[in-house]
Amino acid sequence: MSKEDIYAQTGKIAVTQNVHGTLTFLLKYSPFNQMETSHLAWMVEHCQLRFFAKGESIIRPQDGPVQHFHVVKQGLVRGERMLSGQTAPDTTFEISAGECFPLAALIGERATRTEHLAGDDTFCLTLPRAGFVTLFSMSAVFRDFAMRGVSSLLDQVNQQAQTQAAENLGAQYSLQTRLGDLAVRAPVVCSSALPIREAVRSMHEASVGSIVIVDAGKRPTGIFTLRDLRGVVADGVVQMDEPIGNVMTPAPFHLPPSASAFDAALAMTSRHIAHICVVEQRQLTGVVSERDLFSLQRVDLVHLARTIRHAPRLGTLAALRTKIRHLVENMLAHGASSTQITHIITLLNDHTVCRVIELAIEEHGEPDVPFTWLCFGSEGRREQTLHTDQDNGLLFETDHPDQTEALRKHLLPLAALINKGLADCGFALCTGNIMASNPTLCLSRTEWAQRFEQFLHSATPANLLASSIFFDFRVVWGDSVGAEDMFAEVLRKTASNSLFQRHLAQNALRHRPPIGRFRDFVVSRSGAAKDTLDLKVQGLTPFVDGARLLALAHGIAECNTIERLRQLRVAGVIQPLDADAYEEAYHFIQLIRMQQHQIQDKEGRPFSNRIDPDKLNNLDRLILRESFRQAKRLQAGLAWRYQL
Amino acid sequence: MIPLAWLSGLNPAPLTPEQTERRQALPAVHSLDDTALNAARLVVVDVETTGLNVRRDNILSIGAVVIEGGAVDLGSQFERMLYRPNHKVTETVLIHGIAPGAVKQGMPAPDALLDFMEFAGECVFMAFHAPFDRRMLTRGLRQDLGHTLRHRFIDIADLAPMLCPEAKVGRGGLDEWQDYFNLSNSERHNAAADALVTAEIALILLSKARAQKIVTLKELNDRLVHWRRLRQSRSGRF
Repeated sequence: MSKEDIYAQTGKIAVTQNVHGTLTFLLKYSPFNQMETSHLAWMVEHCQLRFFAKGESIIRPQDGPVQHFHVVKQGLVRGERMLSGQTAPDTTFEISAGECFPLAALIGERATRTEHLAGDDTFCLTLPRAGFVTLFSMSAVFRDFAMRGVSSLLDQVNQQAQTQAAENLGAQYSLQTRLGDLAVRAPVVCSSALPIREAVRSMHEASVGSIVIVDAGKRPTGIFTLRDLRGVVADGVVQMDEPIGNVMTPAPFHLPPSASAFDAALAMTSRHIAHICVVEQRQLTGVVSERDLFSLQRVDLVHLARTIRHAPRLGTLAALRTKIRHLVENMLAHGASSTQITHIITLLNDHTVCRVIELAIEEHGEPDVPFTWLCFGSEGRREQTLHTDQDNGLLFETDHPDQTEALRKHLLPLAALINKGLADCGFALCTGNIMASNPTLCLSRTEWAQRFEQFLHSATPANLLASSIFFDFRVVWGDSVGAEDMFAEVLRKTASNSLFQRHLAQNALRHRPPIGRFRDFVVSRSGAAKDTLDLKVQGLTPFVDGARLLALAHGIAECNTIERLRQLRVAGVIQPLDADAYEEAYHFIQLIRMQQHQIQDKEGRPFSNRIDPDKLNNLDRLILRESFRQAKRLQAGLAWRYQL
Repeated sequence: MIPLAWLSGLNPAPLTPEQTERRQALPAVHSLDDTALNAARLVVVDVETTGLNVRRDNILSIGAVVIEGGAVDLGSQFERMLYRPNHKVTETVLIHGIAPGAVKQGMPAPDALLDFMEFAGECVFMAFHAPFDRRMLTRGLRQDLGHTLRHRFIDIADLAPMLCPEAKVGRGGLDEWQDYFNLSNSERHNAAADALVTAEIALILLSKARAQKIVTLKELNDRLVHWRRLRQSRSGRF
C-alpha cells in the first residue's frame, strides 16, 4: 500500500458519519439486524438522542398516550409497577442496550401501564410516534417484531439453536413437523389374503421396509415389516405362499396426521417399533418410518432403544452411552425442545436401568421376593440430561413385619450390584448416598410410608432437603401398583398439611435467580467459578421447587416440572400468562444448559452447569436474563402465597 | 512550493454576489440570556484543522450536531470538508486522517462556511476546548467571508469539571471525558463523530446542571465565569 493509499484509506469520509455510527450500533441487535438498511437508516435519521440520569423517569402512566418509541443505546431502564396492596413498586422488567420500549402501549395508542425509569445513566434513541407509525408500515421485519414482542425473540433463539446444531449434521427439519406433512408417499398396502411372497415383492418394488394390511374400508388391520420377514425366514416353518394375514402384526400402532414427528419418535422409542401408521377417521393415509424421521442421522432412535433393551453385557450398555450423546445432538438439530430431549434421554435411561437390573438379576440370581425400583429427583421428574447421577431406592412387599430385616438383608447385595452396574454405565454414584444399596432406602412398603410421614411431620433442614428429592417419585422397574398407592396417600396428606407446605416454600426460596435489582447478572466474584453462574441451581431449581410445592399443595401427582406447570394452569392455580412465561423460561435455561453440555462433551471436558453470561451472544443473554426474571417472579408469588 | 503562499490568506478571492447576499442574510446571534437551557438551540461544533496554530492553520472540516429541547436530533447534522488549494500533507493527517484527495473533493471554503452558519442559525455554540474552535472559525469566517463571528461559545472542557467536581479524568481531554462517561465514538477525529460524542457529554452535563438548579443560559455562564476565576486564583497561589 502506498502512502497515498494509506491516506486515502484513513481519510475515507462518510457524510453521514454519525448516522453510520448509530447504524453500526443497532446492527448488533434484533430486529434491527434483520431490517433493510434503507429502513434502518430512515429510522436513525428520524431519531433523537436523549439522556436520562439514573433514577429519572422516562415514561409514566400519567403522561397519557406514549409519544416516543425508545431504543436503549447505553445504560439500563427499569419498569416499575405498583401492585395492589404493596407499598413499594415492583420492578417488573429491565431493558438494556439494544432493547426497545414500549411496544404494546405505542401500538395500542395508550399510556404505558408501567413507569419506565432510568436504572442507570442512560442514553436512548427516541423516535416520535409518527415516525414509529411510518416505520411500522414500511418495514415488515419491524412490524413483525413490534407485534410479536418478546416471543419473536424466543423463536429466534430456537432457530439459532437449531441451525447451530444442524451445522454439525447438515440435517434440516423440525421435529414439530406434522406427520401428515411427513408421510406424503402413498403407503404400500395389501389385503390379508395376499401370499407372503407377493407382499414382499410389493415391498421390494417400492423399496420400503413395511407393508400395511388393510380391509375393504382401507382400515389398517396389521403390519408386516422387513424385521418380521427375517423372523419368518429364520423360523422356516411358514411357507411363502401362505396369506400375509397369518404372519402380520395385528392392530398396528397408529397416530393421527396432526401428531408431530416428535410424537412418532417417542412412540417408536418406547414401543421399539420402526413404522407407524398414520390414520385419519380410521382410514390409513400414510406410514412414517424411522428413516423418514431421521433420514440423515447417524444414530437411530429405535435401534438404539432396542439395542439397550437387549444388551447382553454391561460393557455393551456402557458403550451405548456415547450413542445417546450423538442422539441428543441430532435432536437439537431437528428442533426438539429441551423438554422433548430430556424426555427421550429419560426414556433411554429407563431402558438402561431396566436392562442393568435384569443383568444384575441374571448374575445374582432371582431374589426370593419381588421388588420395585424407584427413582427420585431429576430422573423422577423425567428431566435427565447427559449430566446425571443416581437417585434411587428399592421397595418390597411383606406381610410380616418381622421378616422385613431378613428380606432387606437378602435384597441389599442385589441393590449394590445394580448401583454399581449403573455407575459403570455412566450414572454417577450419588454423593448423598441416595441409592437403593443404602439400607435406609431399601424399604418395605410400610417403611416407605413411614419415611414419607417423617418428612411431613418433622421439618428439619435435612428432611426438607430430602423432600425436594423424594417427592419427585417414579417407578422404573417392577410392579408399580403398591408403590403408587403408597405415594397417592402421601400426596393426600401433603395437600392438607399447610405447615409442611410453608416449610417447603421457605426451602424453595433458598436459591435466588442470579440477577440483581439493578444490574445484569450476579456472578461469582472469586475462585474457580469466578464470573460464572449456575444454570441448574440458580436457574432451574427455582422453577422445579416452585412447581413441586404448588403441585403437592394441590394434589397433582405428576412429577415433571412442565407437566406440573400445565396442570397448575388448568387447575387455575397459576394464571395462564404466567404459566406460559414460566414454561418458556424453564425451556430456555434448560436449552442453554444442554448446549453447553454438548460442547463440553465434544471438547472432552467434565460436565458443568456453570456458565459465564458474557460469553453468550446478545440475544441469548437477553433472554436468559428475562428467564431468570420469570424465576424471580415465581418466587415472589410463592413468598406472597405463603406469607414469607 | 508556491512562494508567498501564506499571503493567499490575506487576499481571498472576492465573493460572488450570491455569496454576499447569503452572508448578509445570516441569522442573528443568540446571547447568553434568560432562555431556559432546555429551550435554547445549542449547536455542538468540532473543527479539524491543518494544525494547532490558530494564526496560520486552516479549517479542513466542520462537524456539528444540534441539541434542542434537551435532545440531539440525529436527522439534522452538519458535516463539510473544505477545499484548500495549497493544502500540504503534514503530520496532522495522522490525527484527523483527512487525506489530500479528500480535501481536493471538498467544498470551496466560502460556501462551506456559509452552509455552516446557516445551519447553526440563531444559536449558542458548544465545543470541547471551545476557544480553539472559536478562534479557528473566527479567522476562517473573516478571511474567507469577511464576516465577523459574534456567536457565544460554551466550553465543555470547563463545564465538565465544574459540574462533575468528583471526576478524576487525568488531562481532562475529550478522550478522558469520553471514557469517564463510558461513551463510544464511532470515529475519533472525525469532526462529526467528535461533535456527536461532545454533544452526548453535553446532554449529561445539562442534566447535571438541571439537578444543580441551573436553569438558564445566563445562570450557566455566570457559574462558569465564577468557576474559572476561582480556578485561576487557586492556580495563581501555587
